Amino acid sequence: MTEQAVPGEPDRAPEPAGDVDGEAILAVRDVAKHFGGIHAVDGASFEVRRGSITALIGPNGAGKTTLFNIVTGFQRGDRGEVIYDGASIFRRPPHVIARRRMVRTFQITKALAAMPVIDNMTLAAPDQPGEKLTGLIFRAPAARRREKEVHERAHELLDVFGLREKADDYAGTLSGGQRKLLELARALMVEPRLVLLDEPMAGVNPSLGRKLLDHMHTLRDRDGVTFLFIEHDMDVVMAHSDEVIVMAQGATIASGPPEEVRNDRAVIDAYLGASVA
Amino acid sequence: MEVEAAEAGAVEKERGRLAGLSSGASLSPPVVAGLIVASIAVALIVTQGLQPFGQTTVNGLISASYFALGAVGLTLVYGTLKLVNFAHGDLLTLGAYVAFVANVSLGLPILLAVLCSVAVVAAFGVATERVMWRPMRAKGAGLLQLLIMTLGLAFVIRYSIQLFAGTQPRSLEVDVTSSTSFVGLTIGQTQLIVVLAGFAVLLAVGAALRFTSLGKQMRALSDNFELAEVAGINTDRVVLATWIFAAGLAGLAGVLYTSAIGNMTPNLGFFLLLSLFAAVILGGIGNAYGALAGGVLLGLTQEWSTLLVDARWKLAVGFLVLILVLVVRPQGLFGRQERAL
Amino acid sequence: MTPLAVSLDVFGSLDFWIGVGLLAATYGIFTLGLQLNVGFTGVINFGQAGFMAIGAYTMAILVVEAEISFWLALGASILVAMAAGLIIGLPSLRLRADYFAIVTIAFAEIIRYTAVNARELTGGSQGIGGFDGAFLDLSDLMLEGLDSFGLGDQFLLPLLIVAVAVFGLLTVGMYFLQRSPWGRVLRAIREDEDAARALGKNAFAYKLQSISIAAALGAVAGWFLALNLAFISPTQFDPLFTFLGFAVLILGGLANYFGVILGAIILWTLLEGLRLMDLPLDASQTAALRYVLVGLVLIGLMAFRPQGMLGKRQEMVLGD
Repeated sequence: MTEQAVPGEPDRAPEPAGDVDGEAILAVRDVAKHFGGIHAVDGASFEVRRGSITALIGPNGAGKTTLFNIVTGFQRGDRGEVIYDGASIFRRPPHVIARRRMVRTFQITKALAAMPVIDNMTLAAPDQPGEKLTGLIFRAPAARRREKEVHERAHELLDVFGLREKADDYAGTLSGGQRKLLELARALMVEPRLVLLDEPMAGVNPSLGRKLLDHMHTLRDRDGVTFLFIEHDMDVVMAHSDEVIVMAQGATIASGPPEEVRNDRAVIDAYLGASVA
Repeated sequence: MEVEAAEAGAVEKERGRLAGLSSGASLSPPVVAGLIVASIAVALIVTQGLQPFGQTTVNGLISASYFALGAVGLTLVYGTLKLVNFAHGDLLTLGAYVAFVANVSLGLPILLAVLCSVAVVAAFGVATERVMWRPMRAKGAGLLQLLIMTLGLAFVIRYSIQLFAGTQPRSLEVDVTSSTSFVGLTIGQTQLIVVLAGFAVLLAVGAALRFTSLGKQMRALSDNFELAEVAGINTDRVVLATWIFAAGLAGLAGVLYTSAIGNMTPNLGFFLLLSLFAAVILGGIGNAYGALAGGVLLGLTQEWSTLLVDARWKLAVGFLVLILVLVVRPQGLFGRQERAL
Repeated sequence: MTPLAVSLDVFGSLDFWIGVGLLAATYGIFTLGLQLNVGFTGVINFGQAGFMAIGAYTMAILVVEAEISFWLALGASILVAMAAGLIIGLPSLRLRADYFAIVTIAFAEIIRYTAVNARELTGGSQGIGGFDGAFLDLSDLMLEGLDSFGLGDQFLLPLLIVAVAVFGLLTVGMYFLQRSPWGRVLRAIREDEDAARALGKNAFAYKLQSISIAAALGAVAGWFLALNLAFISPTQFDPLFTFLGFAVLILGGLANYFGVILGAIILWTLLEGLRLMDLPLDASQTAALRYVLVGLVLIGLMAFRPQGMLGKRQEMVLGD
């Protein structure tokens, strides 16, 4: 039923053929997930190079978001393997994966509307002993110290993202675009090594969108953060990604630099095929 | 747009094909449940003897009749309106007391009293829809808000009845002493009528849901509100019909319960409510047939349990079944698994 | 005198206010647990009366049957209630919010049922008394001190002082706990569990902690209920009494601990006032009228002012 998807077949792109340790921050191997009779993901395999900005594209229903959910632990894959930073994270719970500094955003923004912006930010900081009841009692000074650091870091990031004056407002009062910025800023509070963004540009006005993309490049260049993002706007994908992974009908069908993928036969078939089916 | 539609169509076909395959290949949960119940029955017959088993089964069918009738309304209201109605048990109480007023205070014959109680409780159900639930839906009220309102309503019904009728037990003018025996099994005369009437109504309810257009619409709405609205079902009419149906049956169940037990107190509804929830969840919340089956299963389980543990624990057995089902199979025997995210 | 002319004299008596204060403090402590669960964690706990029963019965049984010291029994009852919270939460906190509500109310009913039927242990519907000797010693000591203020004959006053002090301390404690990073995680879970998990928070563990702390608070409320009456029986732990707590909670306002104090005082002044006013009703009817009122308060608040008196509209997270 998936003619063009050949799971396990080496990708056309030359570099990620072997498992070059240190080179790939994330390796997904032959992951599958079905709901009832629907094969949402069916043999997805790819790698994400450390320090890259990688785009994940594909027609609607290709299984991109489901794949994100499996990688980040929000859904259990039926089979396959996900290696992150040298260790398997397949079927691990989301909070365990997030603590290894892999953080995601959601297609529909999950800004915590009933909490002030600043609390959204400080919430995300890792290693706060005060988040444990025992820590509150036995490590109170450490918790206070950490809280101070976290607040400083949060204000820095809010400055960068132009949300400083909104710090004490409820996140529910922000505009859609500002919420996307907040979600990205909050993700950065986790001090991530890999950030997964599910359609970061959707519903964002062009100037805010550009700002978001600029931040992505800065963070990659300055801090070495790796990004994997789902995007439908081909112009954005072509202009801003180092590498592109293409999914169709649950499987990855191609990967490589943008210009190479753009001319790939299977990719063209997948997009055209979907439109004539 | 076209692309998506075409794709959705293909996926739908694929889903149908694979669903057909999988249901043929493995046993469906209702079948498994049936097998489990059957083997429990056999085990009980072998260890406890045929007569005690038969007698508890008869007793179980008596409670099954009012459990099932109470549960089907609770589940339909949940399905159509996503309202977990904690006041549903008190609709049974209301039904019982209306019958008491008609039958004992006004001296009407019992059959007429039953009709009164069905009519009054159905009208009450419609009134709550118009005065409370519809305006709250229009406001976009959240889950907790609605839950607490149903609880408030439960307080108001139960204690208004207590205010006027007091807490002393009351009885309808039905024969509670004479009984019939058949192949060694005993059943009270009134209880026999309760079972027969209860199951006759159950069959009628099942048939109405299956064959009448209103019944089909109710089930469709219960299955998927938005879809039913898009598909052109007059949801307002069906919602009203659901309330009439649900509350009317609750009223009837209240009368049947009182007749079978012999008396009524203002707290009978709350007392029954958790059993009704158990039946509803057993059958898959929102699923009308599931609630009917769940009610019967629960009635049998509670009575069968008296063969093994002291009868005073039988209600607790019902709640344990409830908790067990939620833990093992939260979607119930007939419910479908919800797709995450 | 017409039937409608009611006497308001009771509001001038000290006995009345001691009674109101005791009930307000007891149900206030009870409701602090609900505030933690419902107001700050988004967990709909409908079984708080069950935890209250566990606290009261464990304390009474340990003192009367096992002849353990009263003060030790208090500690033990908290541990038992917390364990019950974990047992009920472990399998069912993963369920949808409305299912969890049903499970917890079923749990409370099982507890009440056990209290009625496990007669050897609980005394069945006869109940248990005679567990409060150690407290009465303390009480007598306090009454001697109160005597110098001319209050030596108010034998419930010591209990009131203790209950109010405990309620006050617990309220302040819960307030600071909520302002901690721990409390911040709870609020995130209340609004969107997935967002919290995506940020590395183990939502399930927090919900378990929330329910067992609520259970502990329920147990503490159970002590005061038991000491107030010097006697416990299953009728005091009807699962519906959880909703007296909900009335307090919503009157005062969701997501505000000081609202609990306000709600508790208002509700119990109202309910006790109604009971003691000379209404032309018998005892069962007065009781019924009280609960009709509770029902109307719940409906009215949810319909017209769901945030209560001190709750913040922006923090209304009432489920989807």
